[in-house]
Amino acid sequence: MQLIRTVPICLTAASFLLIGGLADVRAAGDVSARAELSKSEVTAGEMTELQLKVTGAEVADVPHEIQVEGLQIRLTGQSTQVQMVNFKVASSVVYSYIVMPLRTGKFLIPSVTVSADGRQFRTQSLSFSVLDASGPTAAASVPATSSPPGMPGFSQSRPRAATPKPDMGRVAFGEIDCSKKTLYAGEMVPVEIRYYFDACYATQVRGRVDFGGEGVLVERFPDPKEGREERNGVLYNVLTFHSLLSGVKPGSIDLAPAKLDCQIQLPGELPPGFDDPVFQQLLGGQARFGQTRELAVKTAPLLLEVLPLPKEGRPASFAGAVGQFDIDAIVSNNHPSPGDPAMLNVKIGGKGNFKGMGPPVLTATDVWRTYPPTDKFDSSDELSYTGVKSFDFTLIAQKPTHVSPGAEFSFFDPQSGKYQTLITKPLPLEASPESTAIVPANNLSGKQSQPTPSPGSKPSLTPRKGDPIAGLTLHSWKTPVQRSEFLTASISMLVATGALAGVLWFRDLQARGGTATSRRKRRLSALWANLTDETMDAATTYDAAVEYLEMTAQGDSCHAILASVNAKRDHLKYGSGGTYPLNQADREKLLSDLRLYITTPKHE
Amino acid sequence: MNKKLTRTIIAGCLFIVCSTDPICAGLVDQVTSANASLAGGHPIEALDSYKAILSSPELSESSSAELWFNRALAEEKNGNAPAASLSLRRALLLDPGFAPARRQLGVLLGGLGIPLASGWREAMTEMIPPEFLILGGSIIGWIGIFALIIFLMLGPRKKKIVLLAIILAVAGHGVCVLGTLIDPRLVAAKQAVITAKEAQELKSTPADNAASLCSAVPGTLIRIVSRNGSWWCVSVGPGVSGWIHSDTVSPLLPSSKGV
Repeated sequence: MQLIRTVPICLTAASFLLIGGLADVRAAGDVSARAELSKSEVTAGEMTELQLKVTGAEVADVPHEIQVEGLQIRLTGQSTQVQMVNFKVASSVVYSYIVMPLRTGKFLIPSVTVSADGRQFRTQSLSFSVLDASGPTAAASVPATSSPPGMPGFSQSRPRAATPKPDMGRVAFGEIDCSKKTLYAGEMVPVEIRYYFDACYATQVRGRVDFGGEGVLVERFPDPKEGREERNGVLYNVLTFHSLLSGVKPGSIDLAPAKLDCQIQLPGELPPGFDDPVFQQLLGGQARFGQTRELAVKTAPLLLEVLPLPKEGRPASFAGAVGQFDIDAIVSNNHPSPGDPAMLNVKIGGKGNFKGMGPPVLTATDVWRTYPPTDKFDSSDELSYTGVKSFDFTLIAQKPTHVSPGAEFSFFDPQSGKYQTLITKPLPLEASPESTAIVPANNLSGKQSQPTPSPGSKPSLTPRKGDPIAGLTLHSWKTPVQRSEFLTASISMLVATGALAGVLWFRDLQARGGTATSRRKRRLSALWANLTDETMDAATTYDAAVEYLEMTAQGDSCHAILASVNAKRDHLKYGSGGTYPLNQADREKLLSDLRLYITTPKHE
Repeated sequence: MNKKLTRTIIAGCLFIVCSTDPICAGLVDQVTSANASLAGGHPIEALDSYKAILSSPELSESSSAELWFNRALAEEKNGNAPAASLSLRRALLLDPGFAPARRQLGVLLGGLGIPLASGWREAMTEMIPPEFLILGGSIIGWIGIFALIIFLMLGPRKKKIVLLAIILAVAGHGVCVLGTLIDPRLVAAKQAVITAKEAQELKSTPADNAASLCSAVPGTLIRIVSRNGSWWCVSVGPGVSGWIHSDTVSPLLPSSKGV
C-alpha cells in the first residue's frame, strides 16, 4: 500500500474557509463567485494570494491573468472542495492567483468575470495597498508565526532558507481503540488502529501493522480505510485498520504498541537560489527539496484483562463458541431413497468466534448413522466477525423413521457472562434403510441400462443406486511390452527361433556332406589319390587328371595342358591300353605336369 | 527336437497369460466386506476399506478394475466427484473394456462439464482389450516365424505355404504393435487428473503469484510435461500448458507405479 499525500491547493481552500468562515457555504445548485485576498496590504517586494471561489459548481472558466496596472496577477492553480453542511452537499472550486506588486500605491482589483454552468458571474472588486518598505510593516497586523492561507508549512514570515524542524510526534502518530479492555478467553473483540500522517508531508507506508503479543490472537488485518481528519488545526491523512483480537490466556496482558513502518518526506534546507518564496509558490507552494526519513509510527500500548470462561453451568454440548448466536436447521431431502443419506443442515448465525467454534451436537440419533459434518462459513463482514456457519450432517437411516435428529448448540455469551444452549427440534422426513443385496458381477455387464442424467442434476455413478460390482479380476498397471515377463518371453522366442534355424541348417548341411569348399577339398584329395595310385588303370588316371585340372585350372595358360590331357584320356578310353595301369614314366610325367600347375601361384 | 521346441513355446505363452491374472484369494474376504459396506449405505467405511485393499502389497503391480469402480462409487457418495473420476479412469486403465466404468465416467464427467474422450483408440479398446491384441498378436507372429523357418528348412517349400507363414509372422506382430499403441497404460505414467474440488488456474511460471493462463475444472485429464519441485508443468490440450501445484492433481497411475 502506498500513501502519498501532498499539499494541494485544496488546502488553501480549506484555510480560506476557516478564515472566511463557513457562512458562505451555499446550498447545492446555488452558484456564486467571490474574490478574496489573503492580505489586503503588503510591503514592497512582498506577495499575496488572490482566490476566486466559485461555489455550487465543480468547474468554471476564469482568466489566466488579471490585468491591473502596477500589479502582476497570474493564475497558479485550482482545487475542488465538497462539503456537507446540515446534510446539504455543496461543491466549490477555488482558483488561486499570485499577486506580485510592481510598485507601491493603492490598487483596485476589478471584478472578474467567471463562467460556470453556462452562466456568467462577476466577483466583487477588491482594494489592495502596497506600502513602502520603510513604512509600517505588514507584520504588525499579521502574526509572524501564522501561515498564509493555502500555503501551509511554509510561512512567508520565516527567515529565508531556514526550514523549521517538524515535531515528529505531530507529523505522524497512531491511536488504538479497543471496545473492551476486559474480555473472556475466546471472545472476539473488534479493535481499531488509526495512523495519522500530516498531510503536508508525502508519506509512504512500508510493511504491515505489527501488533500482537503473547496471550492474544489477532486476526489478519484487511486493507485499511483511508480518510482525512483535522486535529488542532492540522489536516491529517488517516489510515484506519480494523481487526479482531481474542485472549487465549487468562490474566493481565500488556500489549506492545501497534507499529507501522513508513517513510516520510520532510522539508530540508533549500539550496541558494531556490529559497525565494515566489519560486516556491510557482511550484505550488510545496518544497521540492527535502529529506526522506524512516519512521515507525506507534500507538499507545494496550492493557487487557482476560477472564477465564466459568466452569459452572458449562453445558455438555459446549464446544468453544463465544459470542451471541442463534440457530436454525433444515433437511435438504425429506424423502431420500432407501439407503440414501439425508442431509441435515444446521445454521449458526450471529457474531463471535466462528473459527473456533465446534459443530452442534445431534440429538435423538438412535435410528440414524451419522458422520462428522462438513462446515462452511459465510461472513457478512471482512473480519469474519458476523455471519452464518453451516454444518451439513450426513444421516443414514438404520430403521424406517419419520423425523430427523435434533441439534443442540451451546455457547458462552460474554455480555451476560453465562452459557446459553440453543436447540432445534427434529424435523419431519421419510427415510428407511436399504435392503438390497450385492448385485452379482454378471448382472452388471455392459448391456445394463443407465438412466440419463437430467441437465443440471448431480450425476449418479451407481448402476443400481450404488451397488458395487463383485469380482476381483487383476490386471497389470503396465502394458505387456513394459513387463519383464513379456520381454523375457519375446527374447526366448527369438533365441528359440535362432536355435531352430541353426539346428535345421546344420542338419541340412550334414545331409549335403558339408560345405562346398570342404566337398571340393575332399574331391581334390580323392582325385590326387587316384593319380598317385599305381594300380589304377590309365583311363581312370587320366579321368582323374582331367577333373583335377578342370577344378583347379584357371586362366588361358592351362588350356593347353588340359587339351593335351583330354586328348590322351580320350585315346586311352576309346582306343587300346586304357585298361592297363599307366607305366611309371608316363605317370611321373603326368604328375610333374600337374605339379607344375599346382605349384604355379594361380593354381591351387 | 521339435517336441522340445513346442514345449518351450507353450510354457512361455502360459507364463505370460498366467502372470496377467493371478488370483489373490486373501483379498476376497476384504473385498466382500467392503462391498457389503457400500451396498449397506456406509460409503465412508467402504471407502476406507477400498483404500486399504488397493494399497495392499498384493495389488502393487496389478489391480482390479472392479475395486477401483467400487471405490469410485464410494467417493462419489462421499461427495468427491473429482476423486471418483480418477478412480474410474484407473478402472478403465486396467480394463479399457469395462463398460460400467466407461459409462459412469461419461455421466460423471458430464456433470463436471468435461467431455469424455471418444477417439478411435477408445472405440477400439472398448471392443478389443489391448492386452488381448498384444499377447494374441505376439503368439500368432511367433508361430508364423517358426512355421516359416520349418517350411524353409524342412519343406515343403511351396510358395503358398511359405507366403502364409510370412503373412502370419507380419500380421501377428503388426497386431501386437497396434495393441501396444492403443493401450492407454503406455502413456498413463505421464498423465494426471485434477482432483482439487475447485477449478485450478494454470500459471505462467511455477509461482503462486504468477500470471494465470487458463483454468482447468476438477476431473480434467492432463499430461505432465515436466516437474519443478512441487510445481508441475502440465498440458490440458494442444498448445495449452502451464504450471500447476502438485497438491491439486493426482497421477493417473498410483504413486508407486513408475511415476
